[in-house]
Amino acid sequence: MASDRLVVLIAEDSPADRMLLSTIVAREGHRVLTAANGLEAVALFEQERPQLVLMDALMPVMDGFEAARRIKQMAGEALVPVIFLTSLTESEALVRCLEAGGDDFLAKPYNRVILVAKIKAMERLRRLQATVLEQRDLIARHNEHLLSEQRVAKAVFDKVAHSGCLDAPNIRYLQSPHALFNGDLLLAAYNPSGDMYVLLGDFTGHGLPAAIGAMPLAEVFYGMAAKGHSMPEILREMNAKLKRILPVGVFCCATLASVSFQRRTLKVWNGGLPDGYLLRADGSREPLVSRHLPLGVLDAEDFDERCEVFPMAPGDRLFLLSDGVLEAENADHQLFGEQRLLAVFDANRQPQRLFDEILTAVERFRGRAQDDLSMIEVGMMDVGMLSSAPVPFVDTGQQGPLDWSASFEFRAESLRSFNPLPFLLQLLLEVRGLRGQGGALYSVLAELYSNALEHGVMELDSSLKRDAAGFSRYYRERGERLACLEHGFVRFHLQVRGDQQGGRLELGVEDSGKGFDVARVLAEQERLDGFCGRGLSLVRALSKRCAWERGGTLARAEFHW
Amino acid sequence: MDDQHLDNAVLLGLQEVMEDEYPQLLETFINDSRDRLGTLQQALGAADAQTLRLAAHSFKGSCSNMGAPLLAGLCRQLEDAARRECLEEVPALLERIAAEFAIVSIRLKGELQRHRFG
Amino acid sequence: MAISSQLSSDGQELTISIQGRFDFSLHQAFRDAYERADIRPRRYVIDLEGTNYLDSSALGMLLLLRDYAGGDDALISLINCNPDVRKILGISNFGQLFQIS
Repeated sequence: MASDRLVVLIAEDSPADRMLLSTIVAREGHRVLTAANGLEAVALFEQERPQLVLMDALMPVMDGFEAARRIKQMAGEALVPVIFLTSLTESEALVRCLEAGGDDFLAKPYNRVILVAKIKAMERLRRLQATVLEQRDLIARHNEHLLSEQRVAKAVFDKVAHSGCLDAPNIRYLQSPHALFNGDLLLAAYNPSGDMYVLLGDFTGHGLPAAIGAMPLAEVFYGMAAKGHSMPEILREMNAKLKRILPVGVFCCATLASVSFQRRTLKVWNGGLPDGYLLRADGSREPLVSRHLPLGVLDAEDFDERCEVFPMAPGDRLFLLSDGVLEAENADHQLFGEQRLLAVFDANRQPQRLFDEILTAVERFRGRAQDDLSMIEVGMMDVGMLSSAPVPFVDTGQQGPLDWSASFEFRAESLRSFNPLPFLLQLLLEVRGLRGQGGALYSVLAELYSNALEHGVMELDSSLKRDAAGFSRYYRERGERLACLEHGFVRFHLQVRGDQQGGRLELGVEDSGKGFDVARVLAEQERLDGFCGRGLSLVRALSKRCAWERGGTLARAEFHW
Repeated sequence: MDDQHLDNAVLLGLQEVMEDEYPQLLETFINDSRDRLGTLQQALGAADAQTLRLAAHSFKGSCSNMGAPLLAGLCRQLEDAARRECLEEVPALLERIAAEFAIVSIRLKGELQRHRFG
Repeated sequence: MAISSQLSSDGQELTISIQGRFDFSLHQAFRDAYERADIRPRRYVIDLEGTNYLDSSALGMLLLLRDYAGGDDALISLINCNPDVRKILGISNFGQLFQIS
């Protein structure tokens, strides 16, 4: 075969030996180049690039060791086998041959059969090396291609994800630059009333399959949070979307949390992530346990979107982490685990050092740094963020409708499962003059609606929320009563009037409940600073005028522009 | 054939490999060896142990390839003496090498004759 | 062999045993253990006695088995889970989909 024909360089100072070797090699069908010393050999190699070299060790002018070294250097990564021709027998000399880059020896007197066999063996080795190099270069090209694709994907993703509020002053987070392709996802956004939503997700697998679900999840999260949808609604939509688009066996372990600065509450849903923690200012901790299957596993009708609610005081922090921390593995295949994490919490004195202390502990445990962990911490702050929560709308430059009224009545069946707030907010934001105060509008709507529903329709006692135990009882009862709600209604009355100069919205929220002693409750709220107190005073602060009529069953508020 | 000067089996092998170029190989060896003997003499005159060693080494290699075991053995002794820098052993060895080469060269010339006309 | 499987004598129950780490490297072997045309068991038992670790792709593989075995109608039990494995299954709330003992 033509491809078996090699160019073989023979460097040998004895003419008879050179002639004998050349003849043997040429008879095998190879092309032969001959050199009488090392210097000639190096020059010939540079010129002709033979594939194999037979090199006498001791030669005048330049010996075989030096020539072999130079030839190997010129050959670079390609394997050019050098077979040393030698009658040297001392092991020291043989070692020198190897050190100079020799691949094999051939002893004098020459044996044709052995020489031919050695040339064939070296040729196999040379081809193997060439194949390896070729494949390595191919892999390198593929990898480069993959990385550039990932860069593009990441850039697109960052456009989506960076519309969030991870840079808010009360958030501290840590995420590796490869997080997206490790399946880790970290999102944060305000809803229209300034509540902060945080999502930490961990998709199964690695690489593009793990990253692909992040985009739709982020879009649902940002889109729905901005429109004022509740956590259960967002969770349902995220689960349904992932279930629809991801193949079976791919899912997203996630914790979704919302922090309300007005109500000073934390609402959490954890499906498949390690315990998160509510770290209290007094050093105690509340574990936020996974109570659900991950997102994208269950069909919509089986999905459980129930959240847990915790009171959260200024100085308290929400802490979430991915399993990269707990599953950091040391050389003995031990996992970092929960106990070591809790020990870091216990030893922590300065909250702002916590991340560093966790990283240091993991690094010390593994003996090297771990680069695929995600952590986020969200602190409770005083209200003051409200103005910084922009409500998204597309400004068409139109004034919008300026003279209209509408009333809506939502009855028990609807109240059980439907959240009317995003719908009402969208409607009201058609009025251009109201867009600048979308956040305040949503907050007042949300406050009056939850008052009407919880205290009016369902007759829940807000004084329960005075301590932490009562607090969780309150939200448990709220869930139970809502689930079996049979009677009652909440009505919204909207009245919009305006002209080119300005206008006003008159808002009424009416419920089917028994009403309350308005004067007494308002007076009480001035005094209280419990978990329950904020609602009505917030409404009074945010709206132009507000009042309660018909024994507390109808709340009125006005917005002007 | 039991011959310390020339191994007939080796010669037969060479003949098989070289085919038509066999005589040329023998001539090349004879001429090259003559040159090497000259080199060795000069190196002895100059008391150049390194040149002696290299030339003896190379000569030894060709002798073994051509099937001249006695001559190869003498070259090895010379190489050894040069490595040890015992130049006083060299003149006697060189004399024995010259004598042995004379025998080998006569035998090879006979081989050439036989090959050409036989 | 990290995965072995055995069909009960009546052909109704397939037991798949997993040794060592249950992760993505067992993907094909795990599928091969139950995707066999010659058997149609009614119940599946995953024996995790020799399993010391499972990752999220293993959870994905269990979901694939569940899907293959009839989704909500599948009868699959995970047995002999050590505490670490049980913890991972617990965090993911897989008890809602599989019988874990």
